Amino acid sequence: MKNRDKGSYFASLALSVLLAFAIGAVILAVAGFNPVQAYAAMVDGAFSNVRHVGDFLEYAMVLCICGLACVLGSRVGIFNVGGEGQLLLGAIAACQVGVVMNGQSKWLVLPCAALAAMAVGGFYALIPGVLKVKVKVNEVITTIMLNTIAASFCQFLAKGPWKNPNRNMVAATGQLDPQYWFTTLIPSSNLSTAILIAAVMAFLTWYIMQKTAVGFEMKLTGQNPRFAFFSGIKTDKIVILCMLISGAMCGLVGMFRVYGVEHLYRSSISNQYYFEGLTVAMIARYDPVTVILLSFFFAILKIGAQGMELSAGVPNQIYLIIQTVIIFFMAAENGIFTSVQAGAQRKKARAALARKEEQSHG
Amino acid sequence: MDDILSSILSPGTFNQMLRSATPVALAALGGAMTEHAGIMNIGMDGMILMGAFFGVWGSYMFQSAGMGILMVLAMGVLVGLFFALFTVQFRSDEFIIGTALNTFALGLTSFLSRSIFGTAGTKGNPALPTIHIPLLDRVPFLGAVFNDNSLFIYLTWLLVLAAWVFVYRTPYGFWLRAAGEKPETLRTAGIQPEKMKWLASILCGILCGLAGAHLSLGQLQGTFAENMANSRGYIAFACVIFSAANPSKAYLAALMFGFFDAIGLRLQDYISSDLTNIIPYAITVIMMVYVVVRGQQRRRQGHRVKAT
Repeated sequence: MKNRDKGSYFASLALSVLLAFAIGAVILAVAGFNPVQAYAAMVDGAFSNVRHVGDFLEYAMVLCICGLACVLGSRVGIFNVGGEGQLLLGAIAACQVGVVMNGQSKWLVLPCAALAAMAVGGFYALIPGVLKVKVKVNEVITTIMLNTIAASFCQFLAKGPWKNPNRNMVAATGQLDPQYWFTTLIPSSNLSTAILIAAVMAFLTWYIMQKTAVGFEMKLTGQNPRFAFFSGIKTDKIVILCMLISGAMCGLVGMFRVYGVEHLYRSSISNQYYFEGLTVAMIARYDPVTVILLSFFFAILKIGAQGMELSAGVPNQIYLIIQTVIIFFMAAENGIFTSVQAGAQRKKARAALARKEEQSHG
Repeated sequence: MDDILSSILSPGTFNQMLRSATPVALAALGGAMTEHAGIMNIGMDGMILMGAFFGVWGSYMFQSAGMGILMVLAMGVLVGLFFALFTVQFRSDEFIIGTALNTFALGLTSFLSRSIFGTAGTKGNPALPTIHIPLLDRVPFLGAVFNDNSLFIYLTWLLVLAAWVFVYRTPYGFWLRAAGEKPETLRTAGIQPEKMKWLASILCGILCGLAGAHLSLGQLQGTFAENMANSRGYIAFACVIFSAANPSKAYLAALMFGFFDAIGLRLQDYISSDLTNIIPYAITVIMMVYVVVRGQQRRRQGHRVKAT
């Protein structure tokens, strides 16, 4: 984005956020809650305790990597909506590697787990990628179907073959030995050293997309595949490669969740987190830097909303409502502007016509 | 093996097929409208979810399923208007608006459901009646499949017929298809394609709303659970693509989904339910690939015929 575009983008983003909070306040009021109290509880929920700060930083990491994975796909013109499934499969694979290799050095286990997560996530993203490129099957439908399939399959593994030996643990895999856990950075919060790896990943993704020749080829492929193809870029290869990396990133997020927070696999590893990352990517208009910035904002919102639910009894889903209203405004921004402009012009034309008629009568 | 087969071929399976297919079929009818009008509508999942919630809410507030349906109709019109406002008037990205609509519906219905009914959700509200057809119960097999179903299973047949007649046999349907295929030609003929898109979007909102109402008020007897649409909107979208937006073919596609869903439910006695849940979704992916490959083959053959 050019600087001037960036200015107007952030202006309309700020306006959208304000309007979204206003609409959120109306919905809260209608549902019988005090909006001022609710929003105050939301701020409190995110910042009152250093633990919560750790939680939102961890969630920002999840949103950021998921969002960047989505950006990577959309850059070459393919929407990876299947990150949720890739994340879950990556998580369960990484977890199982840790369980099976129990007793080995952590310098061996952690890389193996990361590789397993990336391989499984990447391969799972490859299916819709190849289908899109070779057969031209709409990737949105296939990825969403594959999400449900992956979620059910992981559930099956966690209840059946890979079940936790403890009978009281329903639908969870075996637990990792504490020596493999990522070190927690803020005590009793979700924040672990995984965020450092994530930061490196985010930087690399940004660097490759914005600063390298490959990044330029990707952009060209997404914007004008025919032109890209005829200028000698192997577009099919690039699309499939991007999908592979995108899936591998999602798989790694799954590993971070297992080794950093849950320490075993269960379905609470991700509650549609990829979709929230995808939403962030949409609001950021698939700009990597904006994705990174906005993931902090939306992570604060989410953790704040969870705190609000505990302290003020307001259902935390108000967060989803506010987030989607922001998307609606951002997606319609151009349209609203031109509609209003066209309306004003029509009014002006009608007024001029009326004046003319008046003159001819008078 | 024999009892697996006999359990799969029992009338119960085919009855379950009808039940599972109906919400998908209703949504697919709506999707056929927007598809013909040239709008890529992946927001159907959210529309179904809203229908499911507002149906139960109306039924709970007025203690009458009929009022629930009225509420769903009003909601369907509103959602359709909302969707058209963004995709047609503001020309926003259809993919973004569709995805956002799904998330918005998930947030709104969960928020309202928790505010009104608490975290446990609600059940046992006044539900839609089941229809008993006299004499049909004397027919073996067919009686057990087709009799005593929820109202919307029968209503769907009428709606499929109505949608087919509307799309292929009325001037409105003709304009609707033109709005998607050749909007400029339609404009030259003096009809604004945008108007047909608005119409398609509203019809889609209503039909998806009814799909949700059938799910919550019919199939589950007045129950609302969070995220109960469970990707049915996407399966409906796949059905629309399989059928090239032909309402009757879309119904058949939905029946196919229902059939595999029913088989999955039957097999639960033998295999883990988590694995059987996969069946309908996997079949959808396979069908997607098959339909696309088939279409490409046909087109290639078509070219060959022209060349000779």
